[in-house]
Amino acid sequence: MTTISAPTRDHAGDRQELGHPRLRQLGIDTRYVLVGFPLAIITFAVLLTTFVLGVSTLFIVVGLPITVGALYIARMFAFAERARIPGVLREPLVPATYKQAAPDAGPWRKMLTPMTDGQSWLDLLHGIVRFPVAIATFVIIVTWWSIAIAGVLYPLYGWSIPYGPEYRDLVDLMGYQSTTGTRTTFNVIVGAVFAVTLPFVVRGCALAEAGIARAMLTALPRLRAEMAGLTTQAHTAQRRTAAAVSAEAVALRKLERDIHDGPQQRLVRLAVDLGRAQHQLDSDPAAARATMDEALAQARETLAELRTLSRGIAPPILTDRGLAAATAALAARATAPVELDIAELDRLAPLAEQTAYFVIAEALANMAKHSGATTARVAVRQSGDTLEVTVSDNGRGGAHLAKGHGLAGLADRLHAAGGELWVSSPEGGPTKIRAEIPVSAPNGMGAPTG
Amino acid sequence: MRVVIADDAVLLREGLVRLLTEQGHDVVAAVGDGPGLIAAAAELTPDVCIVDVRMPPSHTDEGLRAAVAIRTARPGAPVLVLSQYVEVSYADDLLADRRGAVGYLLKDRVAAIDEFLTSLDRVAGGGTVLDPEVVAQLLVRRRAHDPLQTLTPREREVLALMAEGRSNTAIARHLVISEGAVEKHVSNIFGKLDLPPDEELNRRVLAVLAFLRS
Repeated sequence: MTTISAPTRDHAGDRQELGHPRLRQLGIDTRYVLVGFPLAIITFAVLLTTFVLGVSTLFIVVGLPITVGALYIARMFAFAERARIPGVLREPLVPATYKQAAPDAGPWRKMLTPMTDGQSWLDLLHGIVRFPVAIATFVIIVTWWSIAIAGVLYPLYGWSIPYGPEYRDLVDLMGYQSTTGTRTTFNVIVGAVFAVTLPFVVRGCALAEAGIARAMLTALPRLRAEMAGLTTQAHTAQRRTAAAVSAEAVALRKLERDIHDGPQQRLVRLAVDLGRAQHQLDSDPAAARATMDEALAQARETLAELRTLSRGIAPPILTDRGLAAATAALAARATAPVELDIAELDRLAPLAEQTAYFVIAEALANMAKHSGATTARVAVRQSGDTLEVTVSDNGRGGAHLAKGHGLAGLADRLHAAGGELWVSSPEGGPTKIRAEIPVSAPNGMGAPTG
Repeated sequence: MRVVIADDAVLLREGLVRLLTEQGHDVVAAVGDGPGLIAAAAELTPDVCIVDVRMPPSHTDEGLRAAVAIRTARPGAPVLVLSQYVEVSYADDLLADRRGAVGYLLKDRVAAIDEFLTSLDRVAGGGTVLDPEVVAQLLVRRRAHDPLQTLTPREREVLALMAEGRSNTAIARHLVISEGAVEKHVSNIFGKLDLPPDEELNRRVLAVLAFLRS
């Protein structure tokens, strides 16, 4: 069995980029902090002014729209900041959601909606808080870059700096003679130390700034998205249960009808025939023999019908030997030659095996009844946690999932197992039926995606 | 004939015991599960075992596995397997050792008593008996460029009856034709399927089955 797991996608790796990853990250982080500094100043200045103006004029009502305006401006800056942080944090962009006024709300209500939205106030707060942080990170980064560059490049320009006899520097203070040689060594060493630590310092600064943005700007949207995901999962589970219940109810009704129309009638007839034979034995042994022959035929037919019925409930070969053997048996009973393409399969969860089996059985039965196909092909593949079943034929097509067709019940059955069914069957053919069935945890909730 | 019967359904087991006893056979043991069957077969070395596929303790293909085990312990020990269902892959298990002395029939066939007793005799005598339903599945299992396509309908009929394990005489009686005609069909079939002709019945059956299962 081969398991193909999807390659884990690193957001930063989505685009093909050149250069050493560490250097690339240094570039991203530096740019982030450098650009962040003027942005923070503008944000701080604009937001603080509008907000203070708004609040201080609240008592003459004009302040209200100004305050709301401040919130909208904060939102704009927040959008920009959210777009900037994924590169630093190496994680996907989290789209923000804001409270929307109901479409039929009055103009006041519409205007005041941002004031009732927690995220709006967080945006504003971030616009203020980011300012001191941006100053600190900016200063640190500029200092580090300057010392690193100036120190490492000292040999190139050191000679051109005029040093007077009164000149005192750190080299002297450390007790060395301040000559061109010692000055160069000293500056290069200091520059090298700063250059080596530069990526870590820059990374730390960028992470600090982006981390604050992440906490204040994307934590709430993240939480909301997670809750929405859970609700969707709960809905899916509910639908699946409903589909299972409905599929089971339909199957039970059909089974009852099949037993009533088939074996039950035949057994009654058999009893009647045997009764007649009993009577005939004395008077007309020849007629009795004929009646017994009929009774025997009835008994055989009953057995055949019961066999078909129980194959339809839980085929023994599937239970005993698994999907591959059961599919081979189905193919052997099919009306047209069936080509099988089934890799070695491990035994799967009973529900997955049964669902796959019934997809194949139902598709082949449908083919025999309606398609006029002369060949068919059944392929079963497992990739990761999904079993993929494809049944195709060369018939005249026209199969669909509408109510009353065998395939409609099949779709229910698949939903019940957490799977999905696709039918492609244009008029004139060919027909292709494809099902995907989860192999594990068929009744539980799957791992959250995304 | 000394017979061991294994079936967990008491009704059918007792029915078989009564039927075989009436026909003058000696049912030396009637058991209801796989391990019991293996023990009885080892201890009593019967002329033939009649085995139900689905039995305790596993309630899956217990009887089939017991049959294979019996024949591993005593190669060629005659076993007639009865089942509510017949599947080619189960037949494959039984035929795998190519020793003959096996049968695989639907339980319904017991009702045709004469034919059932003949099949039992054939298995006990080292022959191979396959249910017509298995043979039917074998005959449709083939693909494009199938040499079976070159057979006439009559030859197909004869081939099916051969695959069930019947002798020329039995085939002639079944199709109501002369034995000479059957022989002619058989040699045609072997020619078309490119099989080596073989006079010995069981080897001939095995050759036909090997061809159909390939």
